[in-house]
Amino acid sequence: MSVSTQPSTRRRKRRSGALSPPWLFAAPALLVYAAVVLYPSIAGVVYAFTDWSGIGDMSFVGLANFQAMLGDEQALGSIVNTLLITVAIVVVQNGVGLLLALGVHARIKSQTLLRVIFFAPVVVSPVMVAFLWKYVYNPAPGAGLNGLLAVVGLPSQDWLGDPSLALWSIVGMVVWQNAGYSMVIFLAGLEGVPAELHEASMIDGASTVQRFRFVTWPLLAPALTINLMLSTIGGLKLFDQVFAATGGGPGYATETLSTVLYKQAFVFGKFGYSTAVALVLALFVAAVSFIQLYYLRSREVAQ
Amino acid sequence: MSRETESLRNARISRAQFFRMMGGLAVAAAAPATLAACSTQTNSGTTAGTGGAAATRLRFVGVADQKAPMDALVAAYQKVKASVAIAPSYAPTDQVQTSVRTQLGAGNAPDLHVVYPGNGSAMSMNQIASAGLLADLSAQSWAQTIPTGFKPAFQHEGKTYIYSAGSSVIGAIYNKKVFEKAGVDAPPTTWSEFLQVCEKIKKAGLPPIALGAQTPWVTQLITYALVPSTVYAKDPGFDDKQAAGQTSFAQSGWRDALEMYLELQKRGFFNDNPNGTTFEQQTSMVATGKAGMAIQVSAVLPDFRKSAATPDDLSMFPLPGADDAAQVWIPAGVVVGLGAAAKGKNVAEATAFIDWLGKQENINAWAKTIAAIPLTQDSSSTIDPVLESFLSFTKDRAVPFMDQRWPNAEVQPTHFAVVQDLLAGEIKIDEALKKMDEAYAK
Repeated sequence: MSVSTQPSTRRRKRRSGALSPPWLFAAPALLVYAAVVLYPSIAGVVYAFTDWSGIGDMSFVGLANFQAMLGDEQALGSIVNTLLITVAIVVVQNGVGLLLALGVHARIKSQTLLRVIFFAPVVVSPVMVAFLWKYVYNPAPGAGLNGLLAVVGLPSQDWLGDPSLALWSIVGMVVWQNAGYSMVIFLAGLEGVPAELHEASMIDGASTVQRFRFVTWPLLAPALTINLMLSTIGGLKLFDQVFAATGGGPGYATETLSTVLYKQAFVFGKFGYSTAVALVLALFVAAVSFIQLYYLRSREVAQ
Repeated sequence: MSRETESLRNARISRAQFFRMMGGLAVAAAAPATLAACSTQTNSGTTAGTGGAAATRLRFVGVADQKAPMDALVAAYQKVKASVAIAPSYAPTDQVQTSVRTQLGAGNAPDLHVVYPGNGSAMSMNQIASAGLLADLSAQSWAQTIPTGFKPAFQHEGKTYIYSAGSSVIGAIYNKKVFEKAGVDAPPTTWSEFLQVCEKIKKAGLPPIALGAQTPWVTQLITYALVPSTVYAKDPGFDDKQAAGQTSFAQSGWRDALEMYLELQKRGFFNDNPNGTTFEQQTSMVATGKAGMAIQVSAVLPDFRKSAATPDDLSMFPLPGADDAAQVWIPAGVVVGLGAAAKGKNVAEATAFIDWLGKQENINAWAKTIAAIPLTQDSSSTIDPVLESFLSFTKDRAVPFMDQRWPNAEVQPTHFAVVQDLLAGEIKIDEALKKMDEAYAK
């Protein structure tokens, strides 16, 4: 190549320059980033301190939106729902994902086919999943999931219509869709566990459980960190499935922070208040993710 | 490393070759766009006729309910005025609320867009007109003939901002065969008769009323059907008094309406799990004879007929909300309409289209498609025969849908939520009314 014909002194100069490339190179990308991410985000923060209705004039109202949130039963209830959903999704999705990964990692026949099957729901759009699951959750006796319950002699359930059940029905739907995603990340982690460690532990007489506990599990830490973070963030900002399946109902039983901020903006026309809710959600997600990352990173071990 | 990438790395391309190659790619990428542009030009050339003048393109964004009448009328307008092309698009209510309101806020709203009559939702006439974003239609001739009772739905501060082809009513859409089998020979005219009819159907082994309360807007219909009798028949000026703070949901016949709603549930007149049942399931239950009736708005009659094997099995009667037949009032609301963006580039053409829609024959055509009662009627107006029993009410015993006079967009969703909570037994009627009063006061 033409570079190889350059005198060696120039090459050295270039190499030292490569350690800190001129910022100008990044300028086009930074400009685009600023225009489509930074500016809207900062403009959004400003709206949180106004009473903007989405159309027409606005005026600054200071911290009134945040004060209103403290007395807003619906917003506070949605925080509780969001936390419940997040904890449930994080625990169940990753639990199921890990079991699936361990299952298809074992040397069994048709493991590739199984991986494809378990991963398939991930590629379906969440809204479509919600619409499809509405059929599964049909409350009529003998229809959908109730048909399965009837086979084993259990009473049928009003999956999405019973306020005490609807939230968990949604969790079930989300786990069904995303467990395959967790599985893939765990699989990548499992592939990275050196075979010689397993061999060594087998020679030492470790049982299957002990090998998982003391060899596989510690080495899965990076995969676990990613999975926990992604599922936490996914749970905290959950919108599509809830909106399509229940719209936050029955009553306010499945309202999440995301559906509340959607309704405040686009149904009630309170863009200012909605932005304030969004800001709280963003800070909340950032704080939780940061703490999680800090803690989980500290327990990762070098391979 | 694969062989391909290796060979790419080793390939030697001079700078000039590289640029030539990139240039070629750019031309290749641009070509389809140019071709597409040519083809559009020819298209608009043919539709604009031989005049040669560039067609004015008007954008219309509507809700799904408007598709059938609007598509037909847009095609008809094309023949009347070839120089104007209207490009309609439709979406579910939620999405329209999201996108059109955002476009209104950003100042690039479509020339024509869906508007809900009166007040009470984010896309309602009052909310958008008060921000100065709707063109004034007061001077158009059809606007002079709006019946007095409907004026609050069309007008803000005395000016007309929305076009709507007529009104729809709320009542019971019922399956005649189910009624016959249960031994019901005539639709009920009082509340106690209504309860007896339900009892008969229940004894015949079917749920008398299909309720799809999982779909939020369906939750409100039974209350809406009852409140005209329990509130407005006693006090036609209720809305004004409520606005003045002299009365409230909790202090009025709204309480009776919710009690009657729950009485239907207590007596086992609804299908199992109404909160988990959707509008589509409700529709199919009645249309296929698996339930007796559904309290619904007449605008969805076409949906019910579509799911029925024999559409003639379906008919409709007013839900009697009082024990004295003379005290029975019904809800009759102006159907969703459209307005012209005040700040659009083609305001004149957009309002001209609305003026054309206001012609009696077009009002008739629109109303017929959605089984509505035409805004104004002449000898060629047709009214869906199943709505006959409502006509005696529409003159002086009908009230607009309640949300059209509510002051903000929060009361209606609150009503949805409290009904679901009541059906689930999560709250009591007192609490439901309190929540609605709080939302009203916001």
